[in-house]
Amino acid sequence: MLVTWKYRNRGKFLDTLDPRARWITSFLVLFSIIQFWDIRFMLFFFVLAMTQYFMTGLKWSETKRVWMFVTLLVVVIVGLNALLSGRGGPGEVLQSTEHIIWETNFTIPLVNWDFHPNITVNKLAFALTQIIRMLSSAVLFFIIPWTLDPRLYGVTFGGMGIPYRFAFSMDLAFRFVPSLARDFGITLDAQRARGYEIEKLEGGIFQMIRRVAPLIVPIVMNSIINGEDITNAMDLRCFGLEKRTWIEKLTYRRRDYAWIGFGAAIFVASLILNYGFNVGEFWVPEFMYLLAK
Amino acid sequence: MENHAISTPLEIKNLNFTYRIRTTPAIENINLSINPGELMLVAGASGSGKTTLMRCINGLIPRSYTGIIAGEVNLFGTPIDQLSMSELSQTVGTLLQDPERQIVASYVLNEVAFGLENLAWEREKIIQRVDETLAFLNISNLRDRETFTLSGGERQKVALAGVLAMNPKILILDEPLASLDPASAHEALILFRRLADEGISIMLVEHRVDEVLAIKPDRVFYLDEGKEIYSGDPGGLFYTANYHRIKLPAEIILERAKAEGQPVKFNPAIVKLSEIQPDQKLLEFKNVSFSYDPTLPEVLHNISFDINKGDVIAVLGHNGAGKSTLVKHALGLLKPTEGQVLLRGIPSHKNTVARAAQTVGYVFQSPGHMLFAPTVKEELAFGPENLKLSPAEIKENVDWAIKTVNMEEYADSPPLALSYGQQKRVSIAAILSMRTRVLVMDEPTAGQDYWNYRFFMDSILEMPGFGSIVFITHDVDLAVVYANRILLLSEGKLVADGSPKEVLGDAEMLKRCRVLPTSLLDINLKHFPKTGRFMRAEELAHAL
Amino acid sequence: MKNGIWKFGTKEVVYGAIGAALYGVLSWATNYLALPAAGNISLRPAVAIPMFFGVAFGPIVGFIAGAVGNVLGDFMSGWGFWWHWDLGNGLMGLIPGLMAASVVSFKARPTIVKAVIYSIVAAAVGMLVPSLLEIPLSGLDLNTALVGYWFPAFLSNAINGAILVPILMVAYDAVSSRSGR
Ligand SMILES: Nc1ncnc2c1ncn2[C@@H]1O[C@H](COP(=O)(O)OP(=O)(O)OP(=O)(O)O)[C@@H](O)[C@H]1O
Ligand SMILES: Nc1ncnc2c1ncn2[C@@H]1O[C@H](COP(=O)(O)OP(=O)(O)OP(=O)(O)O)[C@@H](O)[C@H]1O
Ligand SMILES: [Mg+2]
Ligand SMILES: [Mg+2]
Repeated sequence: MLVTWKYRNRGKFLDTLDPRARWITSFLVLFSIIQFWDIRFMLFFFVLAMTQYFMTGLKWSETKRVWMFVTLLVVVIVGLNALLSGRGGPGEVLQSTEHIIWETNFTIPLVNWDFHPNITVNKLAFALTQIIRMLSSAVLFFIIPWTLDPRLYGVTFGGMGIPYRFAFSMDLAFRFVPSLARDFGITLDAQRARGYEIEKLEGGIFQMIRRVAPLIVPIVMNSIINGEDITNAMDLRCFGLEKRTWIEKLTYRRRDYAWIGFGAAIFVASLILNYGFNVGEFWVPEFMYLLAK
Repeated sequence: MENHAISTPLEIKNLNFTYRIRTTPAIENINLSINPGELMLVAGASGSGKTTLMRCINGLIPRSYTGIIAGEVNLFGTPIDQLSMSELSQTVGTLLQDPERQIVASYVLNEVAFGLENLAWEREKIIQRVDETLAFLNISNLRDRETFTLSGGERQKVALAGVLAMNPKILILDEPLASLDPASAHEALILFRRLADEGISIMLVEHRVDEVLAIKPDRVFYLDEGKEIYSGDPGGLFYTANYHRIKLPAEIILERAKAEGQPVKFNPAIVKLSEIQPDQKLLEFKNVSFSYDPTLPEVLHNISFDINKGDVIAVLGHNGAGKSTLVKHALGLLKPTEGQVLLRGIPSHKNTVARAAQTVGYVFQSPGHMLFAPTVKEELAFGPENLKLSPAEIKENVDWAIKTVNMEEYADSPPLALSYGQQKRVSIAAILSMRTRVLVMDEPTAGQDYWNYRFFMDSILEMPGFGSIVFITHDVDLAVVYANRILLLSEGKLVADGSPKEVLGDAEMLKRCRVLPTSLLDINLKHFPKTGRFMRAEELAHAL
Repeated sequence: MKNGIWKFGTKEVVYGAIGAALYGVLSWATNYLALPAAGNISLRPAVAIPMFFGVAFGPIVGFIAGAVGNVLGDFMSGWGFWWHWDLGNGLMGLIPGLMAASVVSFKARPTIVKAVIYSIVAAAVGMLVPSLLEIPLSGLDLNTALVGYWFPAFLSNAINGAILVPILMVAYDAVSSRSGR
C-alpha cells in the first residue's frame, strides 16, 4: 500500500508564506469567529475562509471528499441539535415559541418521549447561522494537509517554541508512515496466505474486533522491536544535546508579517466589537418573520 | 585531540559484559586493538556476542544497556567513560545491520545532516559537510530524494553518509551486507576497503566471511559464545574456525573436509520424476504480465513456465527484478494484468486466496510480519482454522507441524519471545499445518547465520509431504546445493529456466543479470565432468 | 522507569513517533478496507494503539501517539485538520499512561484489568473534551454534544480499547522478555 501526502507546491502566494504565519493567523481568525453569533459577521468570516480556500488553488476533485464529509457532519449535527431541544450558543433565543413556521408533535415509541420539534423563525435563523459558522472554521483548517509541506512540521513547531524533541517526534512520525503502510500490506498478504479473510469477519461485535488481532499485533510488535535500533541510531548520533540546529530554515519575511498582521487586526477588531460595543449577538433578519404563519 | 596520531585508535583489555536480564556473560575476557587504517573482520555465529562487543565500543553499553561490565575500553588512549557523548560520536561511527532501522529522516539531505544538527553546528557548515560527504560516496544525485523510495544499496550508502558526516576515526559496521543482493554487497565491500585506505579504522561484523575475504581484511577476530577463538591474519582463520558454523571459501572446506570423516548424508524428500505426467502439473504461468497500477510501468513481462511435481526451484535475480511479484501470483495475492496463472487447472481470477492457500503455502521473508498468537500451538492452528478444518484434523496437523520443525518443547511458549531462528521455524510450521502441496518461500535464509540456515534448509527439504518447493534467494550457494531447477529473472523478464548446470554454467548470462558466481559454484563447475551434479563442498570432498 | 513517567528522552521521542505513525496508518488502512460495522459502533480497532502505547511507554508517548496519530490519519484519508479532536485523541493515550509506572508484568491479570479500566476512562474523558469544545465552537447544546458526538465515539473507542489493549499487552510481554534496553 502506498501512502501519498496531499501536499504539493502549487506555486500560489500561500505556498510562499512561512508555515508559522499560516498557523498563527488561522488560530487568530478562529478565535475571532467564536466570539460572534450574528449571521452577518458569520458571512464575513465565511467569505474570508473561502477566499483563503480559493487562494490555495485546490481543485474540486482533490477536496471533494472532505467537502462531503464536512457537509454531512454539519447537517447531521445541526439537525440533531435542532431536534434535541435546540439550545446552545446564545441558547435562550431558541426557547421562544413564537413565530412558528411548521409544527409537529410526535412521541418516540418505546420510551414515550413527547417531542415538539417545532420550527420557529428563531430556530431556523439559528441553524443557518450555525451552519455557516461551522463551515467557516472547517474551511479555515481543512486545507492544511494540502498546503503545508510535511517536511516542515518539525521546524515549524520547533520555531513556535515547542520543545524540539516533541517537534522532532512529529517529523519522525511522518518518516515512519510510508514504511508502516508497506508493512501493513505485507502483513495483510502474509495472513491472507494463511486463509485469513478480512472481508469476512464474522460473529458478534466483540468476536469481530478480536479477529483483527492477527493484523495489528504483528505490525505493532514488529515496529516496537525496530524502535530499539532507531533509538540506538539516534543516541549514537547525539540526539538530545542541549541545543539543536534545524537544517531547514524558516524566516519571517515582509509578507508573513503582513499575513499575521491581518489576522491580528481581525482578532483585535473582534474583541473591541464584542466586548467594547457588545455587537455580534444572535440576530434574525427582519424578512424571516414573514415566513411565520 | 592532538594525540590521535600517536596512540592506538582502539584498545580493549579484559572486557566482560553481562546484560541485566541475563545470568551468563555475553562476552568474556576480550582483548584486542586496532591501528589506523586497519580493516578488521569480526566473525562469529549468531548469539556469539558480536553486537554486544560493538555496543561496548560505541558507548551504548553502559549508557543505554545496563548490566555488569568489567575491563577497559580505550579510544586513542582515553578510557571510554571519560568521553562525552558528542566526543564519542565524533570518534566512533556505527552503521547498524538494517539501514531501514537506522534512517531517521524522510529526505536524504536531512538524514545525512542529522548528527551535525544535533551537535548544533551552523547551518551553512552542515550543508557544506553534507555535500562533501555525498560527493565522497558518489551519491550527490540522491541529495533531494525521499529515503523511503531508495533501493536497498542506496539506502545503505545514505545511512553510511549520515555516519561519515560526523567524521569518525573508527567505523563499526554490524552485518552491513545482510539486506543486499550480491552485486550491491560487493560494491559496498569495495567502498569499505576504500574508507580504510583513507585512514579510518574499520571493524566489520559479518558471517559471510567468504565474501569479505575478497577485499583482504587486515585482521580477523573470531568469537564463539562470547570468547575469542582466533585473532590474527585471515589465512590463519581458515584452519581454526569451524567450517560448519561460518562460511569459509569452498576450496578450504574441500581441503579440510577431505581430512575428516564422511559428512552426514543429506536426503531430500522430493525426488525429481524422470518424466512428467500431464496430471502432475501443479501451477502454470501462461504469458503473465503484470503492473501494480495502470500508471506504473510493467513489472513482469510475458512470463510462461510450469511448476511440476518434483521441482525444487530457486528463483534468482537482482534486487527489483520482480521475483517477489512473480511468486505472489502463485497464490493469487496478485492477479496478472495479462495472461493467466492456473492452479491445478483453475485460473487465479476465479479462485480466492483462501482457497488457493489450501494448495500453495507461502512463507514470507520476515516471521515478524505474521506471528501474533499467545502460544506456538495457537499460532499453528490459525491457518487450519481459517480453512475450516475439523478440530480433530487441526490438532493432528498442528502436532505434526510442530514435530516436523522440531519445536515440541516450545509448543506452549509465546512465539514472539523466541529467537529469530526459532521464529522462522514457527513461521514455516504455520504454513505446514495447512498441509499444502507446494511450498513457496521468499528469501528463506535472509537474516540468519550460516549454521542456522543450513540446518533449516536441510530440514525443510527433508520434510515429507510437499509436491514441489519454490524459493527466492540472493545466495547462489543455496541454489547450487538445494535446487534441481533454476528460474533466472532480470528486469521483469524470465531470462533462463533450466537445470542448475544449464543456468549457472553460463557465466556470461549471470553477469548480464547481475548475479555473482561464488567459490562453491566455481569448484562445482570445475569438477562437474566427474561428479555429474552439483553438491556442497563437504560432499564434493568425498565424491572426488 | 528511573526518572518517572514524565521522562522524555530519545526512547520516548521514538516510541511516540512509532505510536503516532501506527495509529495514523492503521486508522487509514482499516477504513480503506471498509471493515464491517455493526450499528453505531464502527470497527476502528486502531484506537487501542495510543492507549496501549500509554500503558507501555508512559503518558507523553501515549499523548503523542494519539494526537499526532489522529492528525496523520486525517491527513492520509483526506479529512482535513480538526485540532480539538486531535487533542482528545491525545488524552486518550495520555490517561492510560498514568498507570505506566505501576506495571511490573504486562501479562499479570490485575495489571490487565487496570489497563482496561484506564482505557475506558480514557475513552470517556478523551472524547468528552472535544465534544464539550464543540459547544462554544459550533454552538451546540450539551445534549447534542453528548448524544451526537460524545456517546458514539466513547462507546466505540471503549469497546475497541477494552478488547485489543489486553491482547497487545500480552504480546508485548513476550517481546520485552527477549531483549530491551
Ligand atoms: N538487550 C539484550 N538484553 C539481554 N540479552 C541480550 C541483549 N542483546 C543481546 N543479548 C544476548 O547476548 C548474547 C549475545 O548477543 P549478540 O546480539 O551480541 O550476538 P551477535 O553475535 O550479534 O548475534 P547475531 O549474529 O544474531 O546478531 C545473546 O545470548 C543474546 O541473547
Ligand atoms: N506494492 C508495490 N507497488 C508498486 N510497485 C511495487 C510494489 N512492490 C514492488 N514494486 C516494484 O516492482 C518491481 C519488482 O519488485 P519485487 O519486489 O518483485 O522485486 P524482487 O525481485 O523481489 O526484489 P528484491 O530482491 O529486492 O526482493 C520493483 O521495481 C518494485 O519497485
Ligand atoms: Mg548482532
Ligand atoms: Mg523480493
